[in-house]
Amino acid sequence: MKGMHGIIFSYEKKTGLRELIEHRIHGSVPIGGEYRVVDFMLSNMVNAGIQDVGIIMHGKCQSMLDHLGNGKHWDLSRKHGGLTLLPAFAYAESRGGVEKFHGKVEALACVLDYLEEDIRQDYVVLADSDLVINIPLDDVLQDHIASGADITCVCTSIPGESSDTYFKLDDTGRIIDTAYDLYAPEGYRGLSLYILSRELLVRLVRDCMAHNLYSFRRDILQAMGDKLNLRAYVWDGYAARISTVQNYYERSMELLRGDIRAELFCPERPIYAKENDACSSYIDPSGECVNSLIADGCDIQGSVRNSILFRGVKVEKGAQVDGCILFKGTVVKKDAVLRGIIADKNVTVQEGRTLIGHEHYPLVLGRGSEV
Amino acid sequence: MKKECVAMLLAGGQGSRLYVLTGDMAKPAVPFGGKFRIIDFPLSNCTNSGIDTVGVLTQYRPLELNSYIGNGQPWDLDRMNGGVHILPPYQSATGAVWYKGTANAIYQNIGFVDMYDPEYVVVLSGDHIYKMDYSDMLRRHKEAEADCTIAVMEVPWDEAPRFGIMNVDENDTIVEFEEKPKNPKSNLASMGIYIFSWQKMRAYLIADEADEKSSNDFGKNIIPNMLNAGEKMVAYRFEGYWKDVGTLDSLWDANMDMLSPASGLNLLDKSWPIYGRTPSCPPAFVGPASDVGNSAVAKGCVIEGEVKNSVLSVNVTVKEGAQVSYSVLMPGAVVEEGASVQYAIIGENCVVGKGAKVGAAPETAANPDDWGVAVLGPGTKLGEGEVVGAKTMLDKTHQGVKA
Repeated sequence: MKGMHGIIFSYEKKTGLRELIEHRIHGSVPIGGEYRVVDFMLSNMVNAGIQDVGIIMHGKCQSMLDHLGNGKHWDLSRKHGGLTLLPAFAYAESRGGVEKFHGKVEALACVLDYLEEDIRQDYVVLADSDLVINIPLDDVLQDHIASGADITCVCTSIPGESSDTYFKLDDTGRIIDTAYDLYAPEGYRGLSLYILSRELLVRLVRDCMAHNLYSFRRDILQAMGDKLNLRAYVWDGYAARISTVQNYYERSMELLRGDIRAELFCPERPIYAKENDACSSYIDPSGECVNSLIADGCDIQGSVRNSILFRGVKVEKGAQVDGCILFKGTVVKKDAVLRGIIADKNVTVQEGRTLIGHEHYPLVLGRGSEV
Repeated sequence: MKKECVAMLLAGGQGSRLYVLTGDMAKPAVPFGGKFRIIDFPLSNCTNSGIDTVGVLTQYRPLELNSYIGNGQPWDLDRMNGGVHILPPYQSATGAVWYKGTANAIYQNIGFVDMYDPEYVVVLSGDHIYKMDYSDMLRRHKEAEADCTIAVMEVPWDEAPRFGIMNVDENDTIVEFEEKPKNPKSNLASMGIYIFSWQKMRAYLIADEADEKSSNDFGKNIIPNMLNAGEKMVAYRFEGYWKDVGTLDSLWDANMDMLSPASGLNLLDKSWPIYGRTPSCPPAFVGPASDVGNSAVAKGCVIEGEVKNSVLSVNVTVKEGAQVSYSVLMPGAVVEEGASVQYAIIGENCVVGKGAKVGAAPETAANPDDWGVAVLGPGTKLGEGEVVGAKTMLDKTHQGVKA
C-alpha cells in the first residue's frame, strides 16, 4: 500500500521539564492554551493523509491515554487502522521486561510484531512526541522518494541547544556526519523526525536486536552512515522541541507573536486538539486583558498581561497576572499577584498572595497545589 | 428498542423574522452566544435530561443544520440505539407532502416514533434559549397522570397579550388556553414545550390529519382539541432564563443577556453544560493595543482593537483602531482597521472594511422609532468607508432588506 504510517514515541526520557512531567509524559504537557504537545505531530500526520498512527508508550502514560482516547479528535478512530496504542507490556512478556527504553530501536523492537504485520503502508514516519511543528509530511515523503534516500532525516539550519543532534551534509544533501553534545554545534540540527520504508525499518530493527544494539542515532545513523543513503530534508519553518521548563516557557511565550501563530496554526493544516465543551471566555468590565492567549471558558475579572490562559481559568477582581502560563482550571483569587509563573492544572492561588518568578527562571506550581 | 421518552425537535421553520440571517440556513442553525448555535440548547437539554433519542424535523434550508448536527457526537447523541435523527419530509406510495404544520410534521413521522414504542414524547422548538431539565417536567407529567403537560412561565402582565396564555386551577391543571388574549386572565405563558403521552397524542394527530379544515398546528389545533375533549392537561412551571429568539431584536437581546449574570443566562455554569460543534483553532489572542471589556470571546479570535459589551464568536478578527460595542459578531467576521460596529449583528464571514461604520447608538437617533439594531447577513462585504445606518439590514448581494 502506498503512503505513510506514523509512529510516535512517547516514552520517558531525560528532560528538564521537572514538575511539568511529575504526573505526565513530555508529549502530554499542555501548551499554547489549547493543546498538548503531541497534538502537533498527530495533526501533522493526519494532515499529510496518514490514516494509521501507532503510539509507542512506556512510563507515566495515564495522562496521554486520557488525552488520546480512541483518536476521534484527530479523525483516527477508524474501522481499519486509525490510532493504535502500543504499550510496552508486549515486550515485557517476551524479553523479561525493561524498566525503560534506552533508545528508539529498543522501543521499536518491543512492537516488532506490529511493524511486521500491522503496517499496511510502504513508508513509515518516526517522530517524537515533544516537537511543536506544523510541517507538510507529504512533501517530505515526496522528497524522500525522489531523492532515493534510505532514510530521510528532517533537520533545520536554525541552531538549538548543544545537546541536540547535528548533521553535516555534502553538496548533494547526503548526511556525512552525525554528532551530538557538540562543544560548538555546527551543521543542521536534527528534529528526530525520519522517513524510511517499512521494509528497511524492520530489517534495521532486527539487525540491531541481533547485535544487542538499541540506539537509532548511534547504531543506525552514526554506525551505518557509509552503508545507507542518509539524506536531509531541511525545514526552516517553526520547530520547537519542548525539553526544559525554561524552553517550554520561552517557546510558549513565542506564541504571542502573530507571525509564529500564523505559521503554526495555518488554516490549510489545522492543529487538532481534544474537543472541549467550554463556552466563550468572559472578560468583565473591571477586567483587563492584553497581549495574551485566552482559551475558552475563562472568567477574567482582574488584569491579565503577556500570558497564556488555558481553559476555565478564573482571575478574580484586583488580581494581576503578568508573564504567566496558567493551565486548565487555575483560580487566581482576589488581589493575588503572579509574575513569571507556570501554574499546572487546578492550582489555586489564595487571596492577596504574591508569587514572582522570572522569565529566565519561571516558577512552576505543581498540579493541584494551593498557595 | 423501546424507549421511555423520545424528543421531537421542530426545526423546520424558516425563521422569516430573522430575515437576512436565515437566507441560507434554518433558524436553529443560527450562531448564538459565541460558541453555540440556537439548536445546541434543546439538544444539550435533552442529553443532560437523559433523553437519548431525538428526532429533528427539518424542512427549510436544512444543509447547514444537517452538517452541523452530523452524527450527534458533540451532544453525546451518537448512540447504538436511538441518538439524533434528522427527519425531513419524504415520499411515500401515496405521494409526498411538505410538513404542513407542527402537528403534521410529527404526524408524518409517527412511524419514527413507533420504532421506539415510547410512553412519552417531548415536543421542542428549535428557537429558544434556555436550560431546562425535561426529566423534572416528565416527573410532573407522570405524577399528575396527565395526557399532556405544557411548560409555562410567568411573564409580566403587560407582555401577556403577546403569548399563548394558560389559565389554570389551584392544582395547575389547565382549564383554558387563550392565544394572544387582549385581556389575559393569567400571566402563565406557554413556552412551546410539551410532553404528551404518546398513544393519546398519536390518536389526536391522526384525527387532526383527517380534519381538512385544520391547520395542523399544536397551538391552534391539537392543544385546544385535547382541552375541549376534557383530556387531563397540566402546566409545568419553569423558573429561569428562557427567551424566544425568533426576532433579530430578541436574538441580540439574548446575546447581551449572556454578558450579564443578572439575566440568569450563565453559560460558564458547569452544572448544566451546553454542548456544540466547533472547529479546531488556537485560543483567542488579545493584542497589546487592544481594549476588551464586558465581552465574551471565543477561540480563534484575534483582537487588536477595542471591544466593549459584545459577543464574539469563533475566529472573529477585530483589527487595530477598530471599535466594536454592543454587537454580536458571528463566526469568521472581520472588522478592519478603523471601522466601527455599534449595536449590530454581523453575520458569518462578513467583512467590515477599513473605516466603515455599521449601526449607531440609540441616543444618536433623532426619532427612537428610526433606531434599531443594524444587521449584515452572512458573507456581506463592506468596502472601505461604507456606512450602514441603524436599523438597516444588508445581505451579501448588498441589497438592503426590508423588514
